[in-house]
Amino acid sequence: MSIWEAAKVALESLRANKLRSFLTLLGIIIGITAIIAVISIINGLNLYIAEKVANLGSNVFVVQKFGIITSHDQWMDAVKRNKDLKLEDARAIQDRCRNCEAVGVEVHTYEDVKYGNQTVEEVGIGGITANILPLENYEVDLGRALSEFDVDHARYVAFMGADVGENLFPHTDPLGKQVRIGRTKFTIVGLGKKRGSVFGQSRDNYAKIPLSTFQKIYGSRRSVNITVKARSQQVMDEAEDEARVILRARHHLRYNAEDDFGIVSSQGINDLWKDLTEKIFVVAIFVVGISLVVGGIVIMNIMLVSVIERTREIGIRKAVGARQPDILRQFLIESVILCCAGGAIGIALAFLVSYGLSKATPLPSSFPLWAPPFAFAVCTLIGVFFGIHPARKAAHLDPIEALRAE
Amino acid sequence: MGENGNLIRTIDLWKTYEMGAEQVHALRGVTLEIGTNEYVAIMGPSGSGKSTLMNLIGCLDTPTSGEYYLNEKRVSEMDDDELAAIRNKEVGFVFQTFNLLPRATALHNVELPLIYNGTPLQERLAKAKAALEQVELADRMHHRPNELSGGQRQRVAIARALVNNPSILLADEPTGNLDSATGSEIMSLFDRLHQQGNTIIVVTHERDIVAHAHRAIHLLDGRIARDEPRIEDRG
Repeated sequence: MSIWEAAKVALESLRANKLRSFLTLLGIIIGITAIIAVISIINGLNLYIAEKVANLGSNVFVVQKFGIITSHDQWMDAVKRNKDLKLEDARAIQDRCRNCEAVGVEVHTYEDVKYGNQTVEEVGIGGITANILPLENYEVDLGRALSEFDVDHARYVAFMGADVGENLFPHTDPLGKQVRIGRTKFTIVGLGKKRGSVFGQSRDNYAKIPLSTFQKIYGSRRSVNITVKARSQQVMDEAEDEARVILRARHHLRYNAEDDFGIVSSQGINDLWKDLTEKIFVVAIFVVGISLVVGGIVIMNIMLVSVIERTREIGIRKAVGARQPDILRQFLIESVILCCAGGAIGIALAFLVSYGLSKATPLPSSFPLWAPPFAFAVCTLIGVFFGIHPARKAAHLDPIEALRAE
Repeated sequence: MGENGNLIRTIDLWKTYEMGAEQVHALRGVTLEIGTNEYVAIMGPSGSGKSTLMNLIGCLDTPTSGEYYLNEKRVSEMDDDELAAIRNKEVGFVFQTFNLLPRATALHNVELPLIYNGTPLQERLAKAKAALEQVELADRMHHRPNELSGGQRQRVAIARALVNNPSILLADEPTGNLDSATGSEIMSLFDRLHQQGNTIIVVTHERDIVAHAHRAIHLLDGRIARDEPRIEDRG
């Protein structure tokens, strides 16, 4: 009895009882659809995060007063412990870190930006050194980026995000126009390329001004963010360590004290995100697992029915020389094929769900290519696990009794 | 077969079934020998043990005690899978109810024994077709059992029994489900197969059938009551 023969017999009996087969497979279909849909969504989110959130430039990390904080307790500790980062911290890294290629500084606040009687509220204002724009992947759409000259001379010039530009200058050229950031007038020298939004949050609602100008207006007591570019991908970790050691030394931390600052990198954001999605994944697997187990039990049930219905067939096969392993294999293959048929339908449905979600909702969803083989592997396991009992029952039937069956 | 030509040799076969607390002896010491190319009818009223004897001879079952040699092989002590292999190689069954796979074509039904001994596909098809030709059903090989008449179904079953060149052809009431015309057609097929050198054992209670055989073994209460050669009957 080859696998192909058994497959033919299995498909035959599937075809013969279409409705019953469908009902039998419902659990498996739903389980596989759900599991692949979840995988697709998490996969989509991962890609989304990698592309849109964790997209600091390559080899770049940012030192902040507060890094990524994921719990209230952590936040309370950090508030007590962490010191403001100063321009001098940035300079120290620039002077002493051998694996760092460039160090930029940015200070943040929020202000309304006005032009004439138009106002854009709560714009993210960044006081920056000139190298921040290339380091953090800001691209120029119109005009130019901020220059060293602007920063050195504390000029009142601004590089604006696309949203601000569109809202204040829907019909006119914004270059050279004067806007009010808070109460101070700035001349627009450039407009950034659109960066889109993440989870509904626009990333084009910013105005970058020279750091020196920022400090003249808002003072120099705010904590700065230090953006560091490592010399290469290979020395990312070394560069991060160097920066950490330099800052710990400057902050006089004991060897066993925790950092009083945070370091954020694309890698770090990705790791954090992966950690989160893994947890979602585990929960999803558990829930879907229940559906698959129920599906498996239904398969076992229907296989037991099938063994009883086909007792005579088993008797005939035994009479002409089928050994126990032959019968066992036939029924195992049958239950595996049954499960895999359900899996195939599940995969197709999951593909549609994934496609539909990505088209119809903002939820990103990406159907991974490894999902079908994964689903078939799962189905094969279920088929074997829940098929073994009925198959053994069939294999151990007494041929005489079996031939006598109606 | 041994030097004495004994294909089948049983020594004091007993078969006992436990029915609750009671023991039922279906066979009480059957000793018999059947040679190659014999044509034997096993007869007896129901409950005489003829089905049990047929199951033992056909290697579907093992005796409670006693010995059974088929082709000099001691079958009485074999396990299930060894018995299956013997059935596959040595025994061709023909049943009263045909016992064909309903969803398989005639050809596939005939192929079945060859599938289980691992005959390669091409050879399998060739042998199965040849067997169907032998029973004059080559033109029906792609029909399913429900598209065939009773006589044709039984001929498919006979082709299946023959396909592996077994040592014995074991038929259990082969004409029981057929009208008399078709029945005698099947019986003349058996006659022809016997003339071609096959060993045939028919279990029956029909006088007409027994007339075709060369030897009749009568069972009664699990014992051989009479064992009569009938060669002279056939002139």
